[in-house]
Amino acid sequence: MIRVQGLFKEFDDPRNGMFRALDDVSFEVRPGEIYGLLGPNGAGKTTCLRILSTVLRPTRGLAEVDGINVVRDPEGVRSRIGFMSCNTGIYDRMTACEMVEYYGRLYGIPEGKLQSRIDEIFDMLQMNDIRDRLGGKMSTGMKQKVSIARTIVHDPPVIIFDEPTSGLDVLVARAVLKAVSALRDQGKCIIFSTHIMREVEKLCDRIAIIHRGKILAEGTLPELADKYQQPDVEELFFELIQRREDEVAGEK
Amino acid sequence: MSWKNIKLVFLREVRDQLRDRRTLFMITVLPVLLYPMLGLGIVEMMLTFSEQQRVVVILNADDLPTAPSLLDENGIRKDWFEGGDADTSKLRVLAERTTSSTGTESQAPRKLRRGEKSDAELLASAHQLKEKVDELRRLNREIARPQETNAQADGSRPEPAGLARKELIAATQLEISRQFGASCFQVLIIVPKGYGQAMETMQLEIRKGSAAHSSEEIATLVPQLLVIRNSADDKSMVAFGRVQHALQSWEDGVRQYSFEQASLPLELQHPSRLAWVEVAREEQVAASVWSKLFPALLVIMTLTGAFYPAIDLGAGEKERGTMETLLISPAKRVELVLGKFATIMLFSCATAILNLMSMGLTGQQMAAVMGEGLNNSVSLDFPGFAPLMWLVILLLPLSALFSALCLALATFAKSTKEGQYYLTPLLMVVMGLTMFCLSPAVEMTPLYSVIPVVNVALLLKGLLLSATNTENLVVYAIPVLVSSIGYSVLALWWAIELYNSEDVLFREAEKFDIRMWFRQMLRTKDAVPAFPEAVFCFIMILMLQFVAMTYMKPDLNITDPGRAMMRLIVVQQLTMVACPAVFMGVLLTTSLRATFRLRRPTFLAMAFGIGLAFLAHPLTVELSQFLVEHQVFPELPESARQVMTLMKTGDRPVWLLLMVFAVTPAICEELAFRGFILSGLARGGRLAIAVGISSLMFGIIHMIPQQAFNAALLGLVLGLLAIYSRSLFPAMAFHFFNNAIALLHAGEKGRFVADGVFFSRDLEGSLRYEAPLIILCAVAGILIIIHMIKVVMKEQDAKRRGLIPAFQENPEPSAQ
Repeated sequence: MIRVQGLFKEFDDPRNGMFRALDDVSFEVRPGEIYGLLGPNGAGKTTCLRILSTVLRPTRGLAEVDGINVVRDPEGVRSRIGFMSCNTGIYDRMTACEMVEYYGRLYGIPEGKLQSRIDEIFDMLQMNDIRDRLGGKMSTGMKQKVSIARTIVHDPPVIIFDEPTSGLDVLVARAVLKAVSALRDQGKCIIFSTHIMREVEKLCDRIAIIHRGKILAEGTLPELADKYQQPDVEELFFELIQRREDEVAGEK
Repeated sequence: MSWKNIKLVFLREVRDQLRDRRTLFMITVLPVLLYPMLGLGIVEMMLTFSEQQRVVVILNADDLPTAPSLLDENGIRKDWFEGGDADTSKLRVLAERTTSSTGTESQAPRKLRRGEKSDAELLASAHQLKEKVDELRRLNREIARPQETNAQADGSRPEPAGLARKELIAATQLEISRQFGASCFQVLIIVPKGYGQAMETMQLEIRKGSAAHSSEEIATLVPQLLVIRNSADDKSMVAFGRVQHALQSWEDGVRQYSFEQASLPLELQHPSRLAWVEVAREEQVAASVWSKLFPALLVIMTLTGAFYPAIDLGAGEKERGTMETLLISPAKRVELVLGKFATIMLFSCATAILNLMSMGLTGQQMAAVMGEGLNNSVSLDFPGFAPLMWLVILLLPLSALFSALCLALATFAKSTKEGQYYLTPLLMVVMGLTMFCLSPAVEMTPLYSVIPVVNVALLLKGLLLSATNTENLVVYAIPVLVSSIGYSVLALWWAIELYNSEDVLFREAEKFDIRMWFRQMLRTKDAVPAFPEAVFCFIMILMLQFVAMTYMKPDLNITDPGRAMMRLIVVQQLTMVACPAVFMGVLLTTSLRATFRLRRPTFLAMAFGIGLAFLAHPLTVELSQFLVEHQVFPELPESARQVMTLMKTGDRPVWLLLMVFAVTPAICEELAFRGFILSGLARGGRLAIAVGISSLMFGIIHMIPQQAFNAALLGLVLGLLAIYSRSLFPAMAFHFFNNAIALLHAGEKGRFVADGVFFSRDLEGSLRYEAPLIILCAVAGILIIIHMIKVVMKEQDAKRRGLIPAFQENPEPSAQ
């Protein structure tokens, strides 16, 4: 479903010349699994996911969603994915229903189907009570629900969550995670980026630990524990990152 | 591109804006309520307003002539005023009379208002003032006499006594103005002793027919009537205006009386028998008010209407964190931009129309309410239907341009606050252009018809002025509309570009530290300058040019001003064009060679450079002739022509002229424009835009419109040559030969044989080129240019496919 091969992304940094945000990143995600991207802030998670959502263009390398190249047919890719991040806000002056409806129409869902789909989603996420509330008057949890509804309104085969729980209280975060695992059970192909170990342990089928634009380790949790002789994910994470830091220091 | 998506975005944005209180306030509340309320306020103010009485004191009024008399018992006779009673009531005239038969003293003393002084007080201060004035006049007379003797005593310094007297005069003047200010009257009229008698004597003399009186004799016969006022004081000037008018008509009356007495024909008073015929119809007079106001208001309202929605739709989207949400929708960027653009344009048009309508209706209402109170020459009636249609037609491209520009600038901004900072300069520039168009002397010309904003404002001004203008102006409608639409498309394209730019969409709000930035700029140097550095270089050259303009005038007092001018030009080229570029090149780049393209060109490139100069010459000569003949550009300004002739007259050796006008610019301007600036602009790999912008800049520094136009055109060729050859030398060669040929073409008139097929001569004897030669040159030139573009595009393609590393300027291994 998602195929990323040898992906590079460089930014023109006014301070330090060229900044390499992604350095030869490769991975694959299959339908019905949640793939976790685990890394500290600034590791390159968001850059990678933004390339997959075609908002950024890769400097080099291949990225495909559902067999479609993100560079050649960005619109095609966008219609097949749902993308949600802490940066994808909702409009203050639109009600929950209007917001989801608007995106449903942009995704080209036929008018007759759209209403039933919206009802279905609003039931599923239990958000019928905020149907006609304006975005500006919602709590963070409500907004997040609207965001999820917006993400899945067109029933995309691939869903990308970029730190969807950041800044949420425990209750809302729990609801979000529940929604994500429910989507996996529907057979969606899901990428989930986070820097919180607990979420990875609970949710992800396979994970990649990413730091300074490079994937340091990849596999299922038992595989990784086996390979590095470290059953604790958190310890494993720090170990790998420390090793990478030392390498970088050595290069300099 | 799907219209459905554009419509979706448009409808969402419109709904969003309509739910925004700020927008609603700007669009509906402001025009619909504010103007009528303002109008009402003005009406009320004018109703409560009554002009205060001004005080005029007339000393020694008894000595005024009685036939006809200036005064009656109430003051100045109302016959002498234009407004009759209305004007009389605005002046309180206090005439000093000794024989109090009908004087003011006989009347019951007026009730004094607060702050008013009694007649006695006024008269006392008037007398004080009169003494001072008499003293001043005496002093002035005294100083006039010794000066005459001084003038004969060739160059001797004025006596100390004279100096003291001057000081005394100054002191007296100061005292007079102080007293005048302290007194409570605004105008003082001093009637000299025996004034009326003297006038009667003079009338008698005239009657006797002894017309031998010279003006000097009359001057000694009749003393002067003194009117004292303070022209720095508005109150005094208002009173003086009325008094002056009355005195003038009274003077006419006196003259008429004298003529009658001398039995002379009254027609002698108006020997030239002037008559005025007014041809403007009433609605035209009304139109002239609107023609001045409406275009300016339209421009400003259209811009303010686009201003706030644009910030909200561009920067606001980023600030509220919905930009990325929108970007991941399957809508194309073009569709998003067009949807937003349409929204802004709708609000811009609505704001303009509502504002103008509300203003117009308020004006009309005010005129109806005030009725007679308003001056009849100013009517506030609405313009007719046809001009209003033009208003709407021209509103569309104007608002399209503003909407696209505002959207682009607002998209570039990171936050709404930043958006306001970016849009304010736009507002100021537009205001400046509008002010320019308000001037009655500025009329539509072919050149103005393609200048954004100015073209619409001027066309509208002309069309609203009168229906007869329409026929003359309609020819400009096409260029105005086409160019306006062209500019809007450009601005829209820019906005779309910004939406495709990752840097712009995901710009982080960094703290900006100028010291750090400067240090960073010096530390992280590249082979070639960055885009902003190139722009900065241009601005620096432009500013220097502007500063230098005051010094670039020929000094006609020296023996050979032309020679001095030539020296100035060389100095200016070296210090103000070449120096900034070279200096910035040394400071900001690591490779002078790459920045200034100091590479050996191929033989072919050199040949192209020289060949194109010869091919381009007939084209530019004929094109500029054509443009001048069709009045697209004004003739060269007199000063510029004067400078030209100055420098070319006097036996100057050809080599000197070539050094000044060909070699120096070829080196200096190329170093700056095809060197530093073009290298910086082309760094991002967008060569066409880089060449376009650099030639625009090259045009702008040539100041005079037609030279600027020429330079911009040639700049395109020069830029292409530099990019194609990767060397500055072919461009220099082109520049040198281009200037050299122009110089020789103007100078050596008689050399070439005009065969009538390729060459001919015009009436002034200069060489002109005929159609066959021009076509030949054009075809050859275009072929070379197409070849160069093809080569450059092929290389670009190779670069894009990664065959040549994108970030290296110089692909030849040998040259690295």
